[in-house]
Amino acid sequence: MTDPPPIPEQAITEGAGEAGALVGAEERLALREAQPRRPRSYLARVTVRTMGRWGAAMGGLWLGFIALLAIFAPLIASSFPLVMKSADGTVSSPWIAFLKPMDVALPLLAAMALLLLFGFRGWATARKWLVFLVVGGSVVGASYLVVSPPALATYDTYRGGLKSGEIEWAVHTPIRFSPSDRLRDQPKAEPVAPSGTHWLGTTRNNADLASRMIHACRIALAVGFIATGIAVVIGVAVGGLMGYFSRTVDLLGMRLVEIFEAIPQLYLLLTFVAFFPRNQYTLYFIMVIIGLVSWTGYARFTRAEFLKLREQDFVVATKALGLPLRSTLFKHMLPNGVAPVLVTASFGIASAILAEAFLSFIGLGLADEPSWGQLLSQAVGGGGTFVWWIAIFPGLAIFLTVFAYNLIGESLRDAIDPHTQKASQA
Amino acid sequence: MNPTHPEQAEAGAATAERGTVGTTMQPLLRIEHLRVSFPGSSSGGGKTSGGGRRVQAADGVSMTVFPKQTLAVVGESGSGKSVSALSCLQLIPMPPGRHDGGTILWREDGGESPVDLTGFNEKQMRRVRGNQIAMIFQEPMTSLNPVYTVGDQIREAILLHRDVTHDQATELEAAALKDVGIADPHARLKSYPHHASGGMRQRFMIAMALACEPRLLLADEPTTALDVTIQAQILELLRHLQREKGMAVMLITHDLGVVAENADVVAVMFAGRVVEVADVHTLFASPLHPYTRGLLASMPVLGRKQGRLPGVMDGATIPDDLPAGFSVKPHDPTLNPVGGYGGPNAKLHEVSENHWLLCEREGFSVDAPGAVPELSFIR
Repeated sequence: MTDPPPIPEQAITEGAGEAGALVGAEERLALREAQPRRPRSYLARVTVRTMGRWGAAMGGLWLGFIALLAIFAPLIASSFPLVMKSADGTVSSPWIAFLKPMDVALPLLAAMALLLLFGFRGWATARKWLVFLVVGGSVVGASYLVVSPPALATYDTYRGGLKSGEIEWAVHTPIRFSPSDRLRDQPKAEPVAPSGTHWLGTTRNNADLASRMIHACRIALAVGFIATGIAVVIGVAVGGLMGYFSRTVDLLGMRLVEIFEAIPQLYLLLTFVAFFPRNQYTLYFIMVIIGLVSWTGYARFTRAEFLKLREQDFVVATKALGLPLRSTLFKHMLPNGVAPVLVTASFGIASAILAEAFLSFIGLGLADEPSWGQLLSQAVGGGGTFVWWIAIFPGLAIFLTVFAYNLIGESLRDAIDPHTQKASQA
Repeated sequence: MNPTHPEQAEAGAATAERGTVGTTMQPLLRIEHLRVSFPGSSSGGGKTSGGGRRVQAADGVSMTVFPKQTLAVVGESGSGKSVSALSCLQLIPMPPGRHDGGTILWREDGGESPVDLTGFNEKQMRRVRGNQIAMIFQEPMTSLNPVYTVGDQIREAILLHRDVTHDQATELEAAALKDVGIADPHARLKSYPHHASGGMRQRFMIAMALACEPRLLLADEPTTALDVTIQAQILELLRHLQREKGMAVMLITHDLGVVAENADVVAVMFAGRVVEVADVHTLFASPLHPYTRGLLASMPVLGRKQGRLPGVMDGATIPDDLPAGFSVKPHDPTLNPVGGYGGPNAKLHEVSENHWLLCEREGFSVDAPGAVPELSFIR
C-alpha cells in the first residue's frame, strides 16, 4: 500500500522512444502517461483514495492506536514488575512469567503481518494470505501449548514487597495495574477519581479503569473483525453462488437469506447468554452468533454484483480462454465484486462492536474479561450513584471506534463509486 | 463441388475460378443447420417462463471455414452472427438459451474425422477453448479484468494450455505482445488495463487470444468500438498475424468496408439464417439476394453527393438475372424480422460456382435438408 519508488526519468523516455511503427501516436502518449510510477493494483488505488480523505485518515489513526494498545496491552498496563531485584539478590521478571498465551501470540502475529505487507514484494497476495493463515495459526497454537502462566496471581505481593523492602528495586510498566487487579491491599470502598496514580480513576470493583480499557481494546477489535469476518465469508460464498448460477440456486439462496433475515440478532444473543453459563468462551459464541445472523446483507450485495459481472465481457473472455470455473469465479469475478461488500463490512464491524457493548452494558456479556460496554454499565451503581469518569471514558472509546469505522466505510464507498469520484475531481 | 447440382447455371460476374483450391481440402469448422433459441419477450406482460414463444436466434445456420481462410459474417444486429460464433465455444448461457439442433464439426489437431462440438462436455470444451479456437470481443475496454496486470492475464491462459515453466511463460507473453506490435513488452506486462488506450487493449486481447496459437480465431466485431485509424491498424495486424501463423479467422462485422478489405468468403445473415454465401469478389460484383442488395445499396460512397441513404429494405430488389429454376421471395415488411424469412421451403442452393443463395428451387424436395455451402476460396 506504500508508494513504490518512481521509475527514473531515463527509463520513461526510452520506453516511449522505442515504440514501434505499429504503435500510433495515441498509444505512445498513453505509454508516457502511464509509466510515471510502478503501476498500482486496483486495491492499492482504492486504499490510497480512501485514506486520502481527512476523516478516514483520522479514523485510521484512531484504529491504529487502538490496535497498538491491543497488541502491547501487557507492556502498557500490568501489576507485575518488568524486572526486579529481590532482597536476596536474584534478578527476575514476574512480567514475563505472568504473560498469557495471547500476550505472546499477538505481537508475533502483528510483526508477521507487517513483514508480509512490506517485505516479500514478489509474492502474490493469495500466497501472502496463505502463509499468514498457516504460520499465524501455528504461532497461536504453539503459544497456547508453550506459554502457561501461574493460575493464581497475587498482585499485592509486589506492591507489598516494595514497601517492606523484600524487593530492592523494580521496573514497572507505565500503568502499574493489571486489569483484574482489584487493589485488595488498598482499603477503599468507593471508586477513586482520576489522579496521578489512577490516570482514568478506578471502577466499582476498585480496578484501574485505564488498565481495563486498554486490555478491552482486544475484545473491541476482535468482536468487530471476527464476527464480521464470519458474516462476510458466508455472505460472499452464498451470494456469489446465487449470482453466478442464478435461476434455481438463486431462488433457494434468496429463501435462505429471507429465513435468516427473520431472526432477530439481539434476542438470539440474549436468549443464548441467558440459557448457557457464562465463561471465558462466551465471547466467541457471541461473535459466531453475530456472524451467523448478519451475513444476509453481504449475500445480497455479492449476488447483485455477480449478476452484473457474469454478463461482463472479461468474464465471458475467461471462459473463451478455457479457464476453469474455479478461476472464473474466485480469481476474476470475486475481486471485482467484493468492493461494495467491504464498504458494508466496515459498517458491520461498527454494529458488531455496539452489539457486544450493549450485551455487556445490560450485564449479559462477559463475566470478568474487560470490555468497554461492561465498564460503561458500572457508571450508575446500585444506589443510583453516578460516577462520571466510568461513564465518560469507555463511552468515548466506543463512540470514537464506531465513528472511525463509519468514516472509513463512507470514504471507501466514495473511493469505489466512480460517480462521486468524478464529481470530486471536477 | 456440390453433388446435388448437376447443371451449372450461367449467372452474374463469375470470378470464382481465382484462388480456388483443390477439392481434397477439408473444412476446419463446419456448422450444419445450427438452431439456437431464446425465450421470447412476451408482449403485454405475463409470465415469460414455461412454454412461451421462443425466438429462433439461429435458425438453421450453415457455414464452413477452411484453414487459413477468412470468413466474414455480416448482417444486422440480431441476425444471429454472434450466436453462431458463441455456439462454437458453447458460450451461450443455457438456459435461457437452448440448442435446438444442428452440429458444429471441428477438425481437431491430428484428428482423423471431425468432432461435434455441440456434444462436448465442459471438460472437453475447455481443451478447445483458447487452445484450438480463440475469441476476441467487441469491447476492448471491458474485455480485460481491471484487477490484474496484462501479464497476469496472458500468463494464466498460457500456463493452462501449455506445458511451460513460469520463466518460459514470461518469455511467451513478451513474444505475444511483441507480435501484436507493442514496444517494450516486458514493461507492458506489468501494467494494468486502465493504463492502456482502446487500441492498445484490443492488441492485448489479440495477444492473449493468440498466445496459445489457436487454429481458428473468432473475432466478434473486433474493431467496432475503435476509431477509424486504430481500426485500420488492428485489421492490418490481424491480417498480418493470420498469414504468419496460418490460422483461420471468422470475422463477424456489420462494416462492409471491413469485409471488402479482409474477407475471402462472405456469409450474409438475416433473421437467424444465412441468406447468401459467396467469395468476396462475387458478392460485391453481383449480389443476388434482396437483402444483400439492400445492404450494399445502403452503403455510403465517399465523394458521391447524396441525400438520405436508402434503408436496407428500400434498396432490396428482386434479381431478374436469377438462373432458371430458382426463386427468391421478396421481403415482407410486416413480417417479424426475427422469426424466419425467406419462406420455410427456401434452402441454400449453389446458383453458380462459389455463390450460394437462400432460395427456393423447382423440383427440390421440401423435406430434404439443405446443403452446407463449402467455399475453400482464399484470395
